[in-house]
Amino acid sequence: MKKTILIALAMVIGCGYGYAQDEQFKDTIPVMFGNSVLNETLGGVSAINMEALTEKNYNTYAGDNLQGYVGGYNGNSLWGLDDALVLIDGVPRDINNVKPDEIATITFLKGAQAVVLYGSSGAKGVILITTKRGKEGALKIDVRANTGWNFAKSFPEYLGSAEYMSAYNQARVNDGLSPLYSDNDLYNYSSGINPYRYPNVNFYTSDYIKKSFNRSEITAELSGGSKYAKYYANVGFYRQGDMLNFGEAENDYTQRFNVRGNVDLNLNDWITAAVDANVSFYDQKTPAGANFWEAAATFRPNRVSPLIPVDYIDPNAIGAWNMINETDNIFGGCFLGGTLLDKTNVFADFYAAGKSKWTSRQFQFDTTLNFDLSKITKGLSFHTQFGLDYRTSYTTSFNNEYASYEPTWANYQGRDVIVALNNNETLDKKSGIQNVSGSTDDQVISFNAHLDYNRTFNEDHNVSAMVLANGYQLSESGEYHKISNANLGVMAAYNYQNRYFANFSGAIVHSARLAEGHREAFSPSLSLGWNIAKDFLQDTAVDLLMLSASGSILNTDYGIDEFYMHKGTFTQDKNTWWGWREGVANNPTISERGANEDLTFLKRKEFSINLKGSFWNQMLTADVSFFTNMMDGGVISATSMYPIYFKTYYPNSSFIPYMNYNRDTRTGVDFSVNFQKKWDDFYFKAGINGTYYTTNANRRDDTEIADAYQKREGHAIDAIWGYECLGYFKDADDVANSPSQNALSGNVKPGDLKYKDQNNDGIIDSKDQIDLGKGAWYGSPLTLGLNITAKYKNFTLFLLATGGFGGKAVKNNSYWWIDGDDKYSAVVRGAWTPETASTATYPRLTTGDGSNNFQNSTYWLYKTDRFDLAKVQLTYDFPTEWFTNKWVSGMSAFVNGSNLLTIAKEKDILEMNVGSAPQTRFYSLGVKVSF
Amino acid sequence: MKKIKIMTMVIAVGLCFAACDDMFEPAIENQGDLETRLKEPSYAQGLIGSAYASLPYSYQGAPTSDLATDDAVHNDPADNYARMATGSWASNNDPLSQWTDRYAAIQYTNLMLESADKVKWADSLALRTMFADHFKGEAYGMRALQMFYLLRAHAGLVGGELLGVPIHEASEDGASNFNVERPSYSDCVAFMLADLDKAMELLPFEDGNITAEQLPEKYKKIGGVVDQYNRAFGDHMIGRVNGKICEALKSQILLYAASPAYAKSGYTWEQAAQAAAAVLKHIGGINGLDPNGHTYYCNKDELKNLTAVKDPKEIIWRGDVQNINTLESDNYPPSILGNGRVNPTQNFVDAFPMLNGYPISDNNSGYDPKNPYVGRDPRLALYVVLNESTQGSEGKTIVTGVYGDNADALNRENKKSTRTGYYLRKLLRDDINLNTGTNQNHYVARIRYTEIFLNYAEACNEAYGPTGEQGGCGSAYQVIKKIRERAGICANTNDPYLKDIADANDKAKMRELIRNERRIELCFEGHRFYDLRRWSTTENILPELTATAGGMEISKDASSGALIYKKIEVDPRAYTGTSIYGPIPYSEIMKFGNLKQNDGWR
Repeated sequence: MKKTILIALAMVIGCGYGYAQDEQFKDTIPVMFGNSVLNETLGGVSAINMEALTEKNYNTYAGDNLQGYVGGYNGNSLWGLDDALVLIDGVPRDINNVKPDEIATITFLKGAQAVVLYGSSGAKGVILITTKRGKEGALKIDVRANTGWNFAKSFPEYLGSAEYMSAYNQARVNDGLSPLYSDNDLYNYSSGINPYRYPNVNFYTSDYIKKSFNRSEITAELSGGSKYAKYYANVGFYRQGDMLNFGEAENDYTQRFNVRGNVDLNLNDWITAAVDANVSFYDQKTPAGANFWEAAATFRPNRVSPLIPVDYIDPNAIGAWNMINETDNIFGGCFLGGTLLDKTNVFADFYAAGKSKWTSRQFQFDTTLNFDLSKITKGLSFHTQFGLDYRTSYTTSFNNEYASYEPTWANYQGRDVIVALNNNETLDKKSGIQNVSGSTDDQVISFNAHLDYNRTFNEDHNVSAMVLANGYQLSESGEYHKISNANLGVMAAYNYQNRYFANFSGAIVHSARLAEGHREAFSPSLSLGWNIAKDFLQDTAVDLLMLSASGSILNTDYGIDEFYMHKGTFTQDKNTWWGWREGVANNPTISERGANEDLTFLKRKEFSINLKGSFWNQMLTADVSFFTNMMDGGVISATSMYPIYFKTYYPNSSFIPYMNYNRDTRTGVDFSVNFQKKWDDFYFKAGINGTYYTTNANRRDDTEIADAYQKREGHAIDAIWGYECLGYFKDADDVANSPSQNALSGNVKPGDLKYKDQNNDGIIDSKDQIDLGKGAWYGSPLTLGLNITAKYKNFTLFLLATGGFGGKAVKNNSYWWIDGDDKYSAVVRGAWTPETASTATYPRLTTGDGSNNFQNSTYWLYKTDRFDLAKVQLTYDFPTEWFTNKWVSGMSAFVNGSNLLTIAKEKDILEMNVGSAPQTRFYSLGVKVSF
Repeated sequence: MKKIKIMTMVIAVGLCFAACDDMFEPAIENQGDLETRLKEPSYAQGLIGSAYASLPYSYQGAPTSDLATDDAVHNDPADNYARMATGSWASNNDPLSQWTDRYAAIQYTNLMLESADKVKWADSLALRTMFADHFKGEAYGMRALQMFYLLRAHAGLVGGELLGVPIHEASEDGASNFNVERPSYSDCVAFMLADLDKAMELLPFEDGNITAEQLPEKYKKIGGVVDQYNRAFGDHMIGRVNGKICEALKSQILLYAASPAYAKSGYTWEQAAQAAAAVLKHIGGINGLDPNGHTYYCNKDELKNLTAVKDPKEIIWRGDVQNINTLESDNYPPSILGNGRVNPTQNFVDAFPMLNGYPISDNNSGYDPKNPYVGRDPRLALYVVLNESTQGSEGKTIVTGVYGDNADALNRENKKSTRTGYYLRKLLRDDINLNTGTNQNHYVARIRYTEIFLNYAEACNEAYGPTGEQGGCGSAYQVIKKIRERAGICANTNDPYLKDIADANDKAKMRELIRNERRIELCFEGHRFYDLRRWSTTENILPELTATAGGMEISKDASSGALIYKKIEVDPRAYTGTSIYGPIPYSEIMKFGNLKQNDGWR
């Protein structure tokens, strides 16, 4: 552990940690470029001890419900800032590519003071994931086997054929058209006499969907080491099935195999080294063609019978039989149905369109060298890390075309028979060629080096300092420019008797995206801390009471999306063509943008206060932060300062410069409170934590907005804008006597939604949209987490609950906004008709585009407030005495349920996925055996 | 800063085997400012290319503003033109706005004008001058063209005064004064005419190779030779703006300026007639009318062999030939895999006279409402897919009647079926199979001689009456007679309906007839929307402007099998008096206080 200690000593840097961890940390947690002693951090940091957590809480995804354990992270962002950087072992990496059982700790670097040394890329917060490492000792092997089943929470409900057709007739009548389906049609479809002639396709039946699907996983961890070398390895494999159970989808799977390993070496008495590597193989197999869940939300039940038994074909229909004899696509005695307008469908695709496999390979490597330079100067050390990651992905597929057949039905003596088939010129075509598509190749190179100094003088004066260089570069296939970060850093810290703390950190950030002479900026951060307990509360119940405050200004080029945005240039627009006769095609010369050499970094200006305490020997711990920050200088294309013709799309021309203009502020508090107590055989721990924040678009260019209530400035950044709905139009007079809604639709009728004319100009248009509430784009305004651990003898019960409050959303997916030829969901049952006007729960149906009703408005608004029981797990540790002197040294087993329960007013909406695979509950069990 | 540079070098060393592009210095892009670009002639010429790339003619010739008139409806209610016709037209929601693209094009034409003399187009002075003349000439012509389309969409009354749109004589940059007042409409017309005069001075009437004797004197003077001329103005430049096009533009500009909506400009019908006559004189007046001009889009042999050097007789300016099926894919009926987009209205169908030349409302017409498509002007079947007519390469019979058994039937399939009982036939070819995906040659006719003939007839009638003649290209009566003859009306009967009007010297009736012929001949080419407006005044708007777009529901009598025709209402045309002029974009009104909105718009 020499390395860790070295770094720990080197870094008494101003970083705090939250007391909200699952298990208490014994000494240090990883923070930026080192580790930090827990009691001496200066705010803006929380951490989770994943190694301990995994023993009692099985997760399949590293980022699962992390808001349940710490304050300041709301599942989406740190302190409400978007785009937090994920670092795995110090390198920007994908959180999907590390398994929970590989992780030692997750540190949330929320405050500006905690990320300053990362430069531009860390400016919106960092989630620092540190993987496990080997410990000195004999070879230890842990093998885990877990298996579980996913059950769908909810499926959307759609109308069957007869009900759909009758509702569609109503929509036609509403639009002044005649009904499309006759009473005879409705009778035939509703009677169910011949579902092939009168189809009634229901996606959500056991014909297509399984009750559950399995996910199984096995992991082996090996670790150990001597004084000179320590090692850790993790080999894992999982395979997950799919909910679909027909055609090619029966073979669907997702699987991943990975090997992670690291070695720590003491090369001599002053040099240590570490080498880490991780390789993963990920494959996902699906049918080629349409997506089942998307089709389930759009495919009307009465249009096509996807599979029709060949038995229905009249034996004398020679032409039809000739067609059937020629096709290979007969499945369970059925041929594929189709019509001229619906030649293909998802069912036929799954049987006959072929198959597809997405493959992803990742290789990650990094190495660290640490030099103890105390021979030169006491307390001096040097550390450097270099990382190299590759990832590649591609899709291989076999894509087939297939013939589908439109039957002509007749009825002979009361029996339906097919007398002819029409393939509408579709043909079976199997190329036999494997297609490769979507290939990507990405590479990340990362490097950092820092010289650290740490020393205590006269036992009271603790001094530390650091100078640092840090950089990384991501090259992505298909992207000319690379994503880069380059910065230098300095840090100087002092504390007196671990009682009074001061820390100054600064970074010089560099960005090649800005104009020459504007590419560097200095980001300072100053933190002060006072351990009050040491001054006033010695020998009381208070173990720790630490108050700290921080002020920072971080510069970042996050938000400067392109290179050369400062430069006014003329170029040829390669996507536009001009010519004057046959065969002449040139690219026009266009201005790309106006010049603004002064374009500069965005600035995160922040002030935060942190108070943390520990009482009664850590029985109760608490951590509270207040923060207020401003992201200043958000880049806009200053459209409203120039005429609209300064920018066109064809050709893609602009004379408008980019400038730093927008200002966003975020203010909030986060907290964590933990209680723990042990009685003889019983141990209890409860943690509650939360984040509350508000956002404000502090400065916006609102020149083109006339009405004060419409100006974006002063509203939440994630405000949803929409109309205030006044209910349904009662009758034609109501429509005629109300402000005109023609701007929304030329076909407004009774039963349509009526909106409030906010500016009283007699016209309802976008100028009448108001702020309807927060869309919670960066996480709910209030996020709460609760975790409880109870141990009795060898049993451990773990519970995790999360809650999100204060956000709103609009019911705007295809389940709610139904018009034209959309599939009709159950909501249309409440549609407005003159007869049901008083009880209607849905606007009048229309075959038009519904553009009057389907606008963001209070009518469709709902609160996303929710409380989730995210996890319950019961773990049993087999008694250790069973294993003395056995080659098996320990064993435990668990049962676990995930996403069990949602308590919310709008639970039905929140739990239902439309157009994508359903949300699932996951029940699993697992065993861990140690050798 | 020097230390920073040194330290960054340290990092650079750390990453030495990585490509350091974008880390400290941005990876090089091909960039330069205008001065740099002007050193390369191909770049410099590309400035005028921006104006060409965004010409105000509809993409691939698809009908646009016609969908917001009484001629057609769209079968997708979300279509922008359908939406505006039914009431969504507003200054912040204007699908016909020209403000952005026209002024952007003017910006580039101005940059071209300012740059043309700075660019080293060639080594020799003569050739350099010739190229500069060509590009400047084009730029002047282009600028006038942009202004014409700006005026058509945005000119209007402000406090009763007829205003045009700001004139940009020079290119603008970030420091320019954008907050300018609108000049009068007539100032704008004068500006355009002056631009066109400059263009015609600089450009040849037509590009194309010449012989040494034909070399213009002005180039001989500076030592030019014919080979140089042929490089700057030769065959390979055919298709670019030339003197002929500028002349035709003048006819368009003056026709609008003389029309009732813009009469306050002071320009007269006589001027409009003379401008049209100037164009027509080059083809010998009436006798120059292309006998197949009304089916230019489907003259198969002509289209097959079309090359730049030989345009069809009908064409003044056209786009290049493209081998595509976009229009058919959009507009063929659904049973042959089209999307049935543009549906001609009953109003439009009723506009076609009978074969005997009489309007269907005339007692002499012999029109039978029970057989409405019998004995009609042949252009009806040429331009509209009627019930039980055929379409597509396989000659499939299209049944739009509600008795039909597929999606071609009226209102059968949302966004596929016709909403009026008719599908579009004009502009489409009948030899495309969408199932196999065949393509055929198409081009966009930007300016047709037929249009100029109709401009001439209209202006002559207004200026001199049906039979009066000043322009030297015949009377309105003679022109219209010729056009109707071409269509196949009254092949042997001397067009009695038309003759009666001429004999009675009935200017009003003649006006009505000319307007109707214009509606038919130029249908679905983007004229109707603006014609209806220029023929109106705020006090007196044409009833056609607000006429409900109708359709025809055709059913079959169960017992007799006879077809029953019933007219239906399809879409309103929610226009008011103010909407004979379009709005200035809302955002510009908000930004620039001196820019006044047209009356009635906000």
